Amino acid sequence: MSNNYFNTLPLREQLEQLGKCRFMTMDEFDDGVEALKGKKMVVIGCGAQGLAQGMNLRDSGCDVSYALREAAIAEKRQSWKNATENGFVVGTYEELIPTADVVLNLTPDKQHTPVVNAVMPLMKEGACLSYSHGFNIVEEGMKIRDDLTVIMVAPKCPGSEVRNEYVRGFGVPTLIAVHEDNDPKGEGLALAKAYAVGTGGHKAGVLMSSFIAEVKSDLMGEQTILCGMLQTGSLLCFDKMVEEGIEPGYASKLIQYGWETITEALKYGGVTNMLDRLSNPAKIKAFDLAEELKQIMRPLYNKHQDDIIDGTFSRVMMEDWANDDKNLLGWRAETAETAFEKTPAGDVEISEQEYFDKGILMVAMVKAGVELAFETMTAAGIIADSAYYESLHETPLIANTIARKKLYEMNATISDTAEYGCYLYNHACLPLLADFMKDIKTDVIGKGLELEDTGVDNARLIEVNAALRAHPVEAIGATLRGHMADMKKIV
Amino acid sequence: MTIRLDDLTVNFDERFQLNNINWQLEDDQHWVVTGANGSGKSALAAVLAGAGEIVSGNLQGVPPRVGLVSFEAQAELIAAELKKDDADIMDVIAEGTPVREILLQPGSDAALVDELVEKFGLSALMDRAFRKLSTGESRKMMLIRALASQPDLLVLDEPFDGLDAATLAMLQQYLASLVETIPMVLVLNRFDEFPDFISHIAYVDKGRLAHQVARNDETAYAELYKLLHLKTTELEVPAADPETAIPALDPTQPLVKLNGINIRYGDTTVIGDLDWTIEPGKHWQLSGPNGSGKTGLLSLITGDHPQCYVNDIFVFGFKRGSGESIWQIKQFIGYVSTSLQWEYSVGTGLRNVIISGFYDSIGLYTKATERQKQIADQWLALLGMSERADEPFNKLSYGDQRLLLIARAMVKHPPLLILDEPCLGLDDMNRQLVLALIEKICADSETTVLYVNHHPEDQIKGIDNYLELDKR
Repeated sequence: MSNNYFNTLPLREQLEQLGKCRFMTMDEFDDGVEALKGKKMVVIGCGAQGLAQGMNLRDSGCDVSYALREAAIAEKRQSWKNATENGFVVGTYEELIPTADVVLNLTPDKQHTPVVNAVMPLMKEGACLSYSHGFNIVEEGMKIRDDLTVIMVAPKCPGSEVRNEYVRGFGVPTLIAVHEDNDPKGEGLALAKAYAVGTGGHKAGVLMSSFIAEVKSDLMGEQTILCGMLQTGSLLCFDKMVEEGIEPGYASKLIQYGWETITEALKYGGVTNMLDRLSNPAKIKAFDLAEELKQIMRPLYNKHQDDIIDGTFSRVMMEDWANDDKNLLGWRAETAETAFEKTPAGDVEISEQEYFDKGILMVAMVKAGVELAFETMTAAGIIADSAYYESLHETPLIANTIARKKLYEMNATISDTAEYGCYLYNHACLPLLADFMKDIKTDVIGKGLELEDTGVDNARLIEVNAALRAHPVEAIGATLRGHMADMKKIV
Repeated sequence: MTIRLDDLTVNFDERFQLNNINWQLEDDQHWVVTGANGSGKSALAAVLAGAGEIVSGNLQGVPPRVGLVSFEAQAELIAAELKKDDADIMDVIAEGTPVREILLQPGSDAALVDELVEKFGLSALMDRAFRKLSTGESRKMMLIRALASQPDLLVLDEPFDGLDAATLAMLQQYLASLVETIPMVLVLNRFDEFPDFISHIAYVDKGRLAHQVARNDETAYAELYKLLHLKTTELEVPAADPETAIPALDPTQPLVKLNGINIRYGDTTVIGDLDWTIEPGKHWQLSGPNGSGKTGLLSLITGDHPQCYVNDIFVFGFKRGSGESIWQIKQFIGYVSTSLQWEYSVGTGLRNVIISGFYDSIGLYTKATERQKQIADQWLALLGMSERADEPFNKLSYGDQRLLLIARAMVKHPPLLILDEPCLGLDDMNRQLVLALIEKICADSETTVLYVNHHPEDQIKGIDNYLELDKR
């Protein structure tokens, strides 16, 4: 049905595109939104991301309107309400697209092909088509008219945060790219930069990447550590605790809010800081568990990355799209039926530190997942900066959605693409960890070590601390978080 | 023995009245009476020594011997001495009453008089005429007289004023030695002069006893400190930062001009066809019941309401929706509201919260200049929070957060300051604090104030344009 664009490229070109990623400096954005001034921007799709970006761009002085399908307008669907209640001009594709200088495609991946096929003939000569995700171009091989400029501006946060951070006077980290096959006037980069400024992204840091690097790293991150590992981890940890006699309400709460709490430490100071929150014996324990997990799960991470790189993943998923999402919807329903999902968080106090002390296995799972995803991505030629954003950086964001909505809603919130990959990972990972879980007791999940004596062997502690700090995700993390600190997000 | 003032109203020279005072002083308590100049704090203390004319209410339990030291009592004594002088029609040089005679009243402890005179270093003056003493000398004599009169209650109005450091220390030490035997009421202006033995503080405002605070109630004591600080300290609103100056506005143009504006949610119209012009220098009060659209109206001005793009709005020289950014609008506005306070749930230090006002951001994302830090520190000093510059904002009390957000709004000296119910959710003390700060701002700066409020008791001086919204 489609031609995988990546697979049409020669190897050296594939490697070059995968390896594109550069953290841009603040002075590269000195022109502000100038490149978009006087241009007409038309957004297609008015979900959370579409609305947030449109509002930010308008508040930055850009001319923004929304093109919706006739049915959405006639039936006054939510997207129509979102746009009109916020004072935007709304029109059909036929009315608005021919007037647009920049068309922002902010629909879900699944709709990209029909949407782009519908709008492309309506677009005026020399206009710009913008994506927030490169799946359509890279995995589906969509060919865009030669006269059109194709760019990507991808805020690395959910729509609500894109808006909230802008209103606070900040922004969210953003990835931009120009599709080199479609940059006839050489203005792609200027437009992408101005767009990033318009959404506030430049204040939080912008990565200059490629469509290919974005897709291959984004898919890898979301289906393994971000969503998959947290889903599998939640189910395994919950069942284990209940099996060992921990009160189910307590177990449910420890997991639902535990991911958020421990990854908050990750966000501030990387894997090292997350483990530093543990006592010395617990830290050594978590380290050992993570080493074991990494050894067991490495083949799975490799398989996910391989399937993403060679297009197997997207092909299989698109078959499901063509089959009315039978698998996706079935798996989503299964998630709703899991014991963890059906057990509400108990009305018990759990202190911030307790989430670490009693969730040693969860800490180990996050460490193993982040490091494996990062290692696998960089081994596939993805630059460390990119691999960092798609693994460690985004983990707390998904953890937040679990804290708010548990797994079912987390899956419904993330993109269908992420969700599909998450289930694939979960189905493979659950049996893979079955033996490992047999030896797990409440000392590492549910109760904590409960030691009288927290002494440890000096040499072993030095060894563990050194290994933690020497991991490459920590080095790039320190640098990138440093950039952020330069811009002083003082929270 | 308990002194009770029950709903007591007292007249002083028909110029001043203490109103409806309810106050109870136990004999193991030592009070400070404090308040701004002209608040009536001296009058309240003097009531205990029999001053004023009781109009209504009850005063009971005042002991027979009250030792009083005050400027008024001092002035009275001197005036009486001068009168004697006038009365002397004989052709002799009137010497006036010697100090010794003034000090030794019936019932005084003569030995104590000598001891205190020695301590104050005034022995050489004992035979001089009282009216020939300098103000400072006669004041010390008044103190000695009161202390030696074997009083059952000491009422000392600003006893430390004008004393040199050594004398001050001596007097404080001496007073401390009396705590077990004599209850004391001290009128004092400055918190740092409150002696350690003080157990309670009475705060007087506009002739009323506004607050009574026990010294050991740390929270209330800290709030009172700030209130007194704002009310009594001669501080000025810190200057703007010349390096982050706001672009100049055309003074002949209105700051805000709304033409026939509407706010609609679905089929409901909250505000319909409203015209409103805010000229520079004209302070406005906006009021109306809940749901009348006050906050919506304000957010059309600040650019926070998405419907600002579908209305005819002219702000600070910009026609909204003509390619301007909200940051170009916000730079002209300082803004405080309860919802801002909720949104400002950050652990940023207090200094940074104030500096964030230069950037209109919630949290600080830009490196602050040295000048900005200095200005922020001046604001912290104004608020009495200098010591707490690096404390996290979200750990502050609700009232302190509000004060700090007002400073944040004002730090850049915006042409328009919008205060959306700045007293909402505050207790009485914090309300007075906020109002005191706003009055200082109104008086000291060229900012036009737009004040949303519907409590008549929270009026601010200097606001004389009113817009009242009706609920639709």
